[in-house]
Amino acid sequence: MRTMLSTVMAAAAVIGLVASVPQARAADPIKIVALYNLSSGGLASIDGPSLNGAKLKMKEINDAGGLLGGRMIEITAIDTKNDLKEAATGAKRGVSMSGVVAGIGHSDTTFALASAPLFQAQGIPFVTSGATAPDLPGMIGDEMFMACFGDDVQAHAMAEYAYNTLGVHTVVVWTDNAMDYTKGLSKYFQDRFTQLGGKVLLNDIYMTEDKDFSALVSRLKANPDAQAVFASSGPDTAGIIIKQIREAGINLPILGGDGYDTDLISTVPGPDLSNDVYFTTHAYVGLDTGPANTFRTGYQTAYGVPPENAFAALGYDAMGLVADAIKRAGSTDYAAVTKALAETNGYEAVTGNIAFKNGSHVPSKPVAVMYVDHGKVSLKTTVTPES
Amino acid sequence: MARRPNLLAFLAAASLGAVLVFGATATLDDYVLSIIQFVGINVILAVSLNITNGFTGLFSLGHPAFMTIGGYVTAIMSLDPKRKPFLLPDLPEWLAASHLSFLPALVTGGMVATLVAVVVGFPVLRLRGHYLAVATLGLIFIVQGLAINLDGYTRGALGLNGLPELTSLWWVYGWMLLTLYVCWKLKHSSLGRTMLAIRENELAAACLGVRITRTRILSFALGAFFAGVAGGLWAHLVTLITPSSFSFLFAFQLVVMVVLGGTGSITGAALAGALLTIATEALHPVEEAMGLFGASQVLLAVAVLLVLVFRPKGLFGMAEPDLLAWVGKSPGREPTPAGSKRQREV
Amino acid sequence: MTASYILEQIVNGIILGSMYALIAIGFSLIYGIVRLINFAHGDIVTIGSFAMLASAVALKIPFPLAILVVLVTGAATGMMIERIAFRPMRGAPQVTGFIASLAVAIVMENIGIMTLTAQPRSFIVPAYLSKFIAIGPLSVRAIDLAIVVLAVLLMAALALFVRFTRTGMAMRATAENYNVARLMGINIDRMILLAFAIGSALAAAAGLMWGSKYSQISPLMGLIPGLKAFVAAVIGGVGSISGAMLGGYVLGLAEVLLVGLLPPEYSGYRNVFVFAVLIIILLVMPNGLLGHSTEERA
Repeated sequence: MRTMLSTVMAAAAVIGLVASVPQARAADPIKIVALYNLSSGGLASIDGPSLNGAKLKMKEINDAGGLLGGRMIEITAIDTKNDLKEAATGAKRGVSMSGVVAGIGHSDTTFALASAPLFQAQGIPFVTSGATAPDLPGMIGDEMFMACFGDDVQAHAMAEYAYNTLGVHTVVVWTDNAMDYTKGLSKYFQDRFTQLGGKVLLNDIYMTEDKDFSALVSRLKANPDAQAVFASSGPDTAGIIIKQIREAGINLPILGGDGYDTDLISTVPGPDLSNDVYFTTHAYVGLDTGPANTFRTGYQTAYGVPPENAFAALGYDAMGLVADAIKRAGSTDYAAVTKALAETNGYEAVTGNIAFKNGSHVPSKPVAVMYVDHGKVSLKTTVTPES
Repeated sequence: MARRPNLLAFLAAASLGAVLVFGATATLDDYVLSIIQFVGINVILAVSLNITNGFTGLFSLGHPAFMTIGGYVTAIMSLDPKRKPFLLPDLPEWLAASHLSFLPALVTGGMVATLVAVVVGFPVLRLRGHYLAVATLGLIFIVQGLAINLDGYTRGALGLNGLPELTSLWWVYGWMLLTLYVCWKLKHSSLGRTMLAIRENELAAACLGVRITRTRILSFALGAFFAGVAGGLWAHLVTLITPSSFSFLFAFQLVVMVVLGGTGSITGAALAGALLTIATEALHPVEEAMGLFGASQVLLAVAVLLVLVFRPKGLFGMAEPDLLAWVGKSPGREPTPAGSKRQREV
Repeated sequence: MTASYILEQIVNGIILGSMYALIAIGFSLIYGIVRLINFAHGDIVTIGSFAMLASAVALKIPFPLAILVVLVTGAATGMMIERIAFRPMRGAPQVTGFIASLAVAIVMENIGIMTLTAQPRSFIVPAYLSKFIAIGPLSVRAIDLAIVVLAVLLMAALALFVRFTRTGMAMRATAENYNVARLMGINIDRMILLAFAIGSALAAAAGLMWGSKYSQISPLMGLIPGLKAFVAAVIGGVGSISGAMLGGYVLGLAEVLLVGLLPPEYSGYRNVFVFAVLIIILLVMPNGLLGHSTEERA
């Protein structure tokens, strides 16, 4: 009995060994961890498309034969459920997975601050697709990279465009005090605007869940000298703000940041009211470049809808950036990939050309200034900041 | 006749636990360790909420508010004094210069939370039932609103990041033991019986000379202390604390743990807390494989619903199942007080 | 701060309050009969707004008819929730029912996200409702007027129903004394279903109003209004229908006026002030504005 049992066990062990060996010889997948708020909270409307974009890029690369001689990319998406604890534990789970080469994710600075330090501690590079605070790499470390421009860049671009091109010298500012992104954007805008000689007549505050802006609209009306409104807002309130300002009969130009990059700014107010709005965003809408077109048609084919907002393109670019770095590094060793990322100089992304110059991990990318005319969004100009 | 707590058995269990903790820290990877720590923190929260909601019958949703307070105070105390003036410009001089090690910082956080609980409790604890629930819910929003807007003191919506990762399994285990011990002693003491009496029939308790208001405030404050400490532990595990770290949704999750385990049962609250935390985490890979994000929450909600349908008083009701019976001590369930079934208002 | 500005803010408060009142009435109706808070109520608001979107946009049903569709959908959802979550909980401690309804709410929200994605969607009302109408010194949009009128109509209908019809009287009886009502031959199960149906229909109507006013809906949109309406119902005295109406308007007015009248530097503290005011109201009137004392008798 005992000998039969041990024979069976030995046979099983041998079979197991033999079966596992061919798997080890076949190409190991390149694992990427993607951390996004997919199932709850206001960020889900931008994180979902971000993940879709990243997966689209992964599919394109895999279909073209993979990286480093046939290795397929595998994205593990971890849902951080709009909860910082989930962001931290999800990141810990991500870094502990075997074969992880890099992490991407998050469209909000606070969540990046929860997840990225865990990658930093393990020396694994983390590329955020949409968290735009320019001091993020400084706060986290040298493994942190941004695929998007910093809020200072886009706010300065808007301030300059408003002052120099639109001739707006007095402005009323509305800031969403509940999001760090909007507070930062507002601050950078006001800094540059006043530096140029402009005057901020009123700095009004609201919170993200607010839906009723009648008090702010009334205070805006009480400032007849204002030549424009800079409403620093995320995607969930941008359309509502435009609607209520226009409904009150105020025809001042409305200025905003990349939080306006959603079709809600056209559909919620409706074509009559969605008018005379300028916003900065990651350049890709209206761009007729190769990568932008490939992205757009690919997204439509894969998901049945056009890209919902620029964050879909950013997710695509974050994945592409990492893949490009892996290719240049020629290996999946963390230090090599990080070095290759830091040396990125001219990666042709959908949202513009990504280059990390002078040791900065924030790319200097072009800012697109968009204009909304009766519901139709078009590109006004592209501003390329001097580095 | 209530059973006297068996100190020896408790110490034996505690030492066994310590051995397990030692083994865990030596062998398990960072991710699993962090999950175990969150389990421990949730146990502290569930058990301390049990003091307020379970023993005394106060429908309090205020735990997240105390966690926020405790978490921020602990973080401010433990931050490097060199960073503080830059991060928190409005902080008074003596606060900016001070620096405490982990234990004093945690205790300070807990004490401040307790102080707020006492101050708020005096007026608010006169309310009953759903009215108290709304008032404590309001407390969550008030604390959140203050934390977001007083950004000179709290850094507003961005929160405090880069906190030193001081929490370890030993710290969580130690505080968990303390919380369990305090609750156990409380339940079997005359103060505990007073709380239970208030919950069962306040009028009768008052007739028997129970100081209602004092006891309610005490139970509220005690729960707040542990919530504050748990907030500090949480903040130094995630290394980040923001005004929205502890939301009203979290308050509901904690109430679920207490109700599932049986309001009034310490073992129940602890077990339910542990089970729910582990189950949520264990379902993540399933959810990711299917690409159906949100499915884990659906499954857990359905599971909770089923448990409640079949055992509406929770897993253990008010009793403490005697898990140590097998050790050879005298067995026996604690008798549930007569008439503990919630009467419908007739 | 002119008179017309203050008047404008009061009107806004009334509009917001109408929506809160409708949702709060649902809470109180259900609480009055089964003594349980239905946490999934906020999600019925969401369902109402999506039902409106589906019928007006996808099925192209004319607006007034779509309102009916929304009411029916809300009622059906409410009755379904009663069967699944509340019937098994009868007799259980109050807090258990609360958790059961919370579980249902979580299931509904997540199914919404899984099927509809979390993207907010726009919601356009017919052009004839978007016009401005001048009333005295103010100009309001037709849709805002419609919201208030519809809310008042629904509340009046409910009041008449509860006061003057036999079924309404039966409901009041059940709410007042469950056991005696049963002894009197009232079909308790039917009364409870009715309470859920009416309360949920009102919530769905509020959902359609919310979507029409702000033109943007998403699967999680009902969470915060539901929570606020719960607060409103409690402020008014949980279980009292007129209290819920009053509470809804008080909350709506407080929210709008506090933002409108506070200096801009303080508008970030709006939630703080609103809840502080509400807590103060509760401290002065510990059973809500119109509630009765629920002291247990020995």
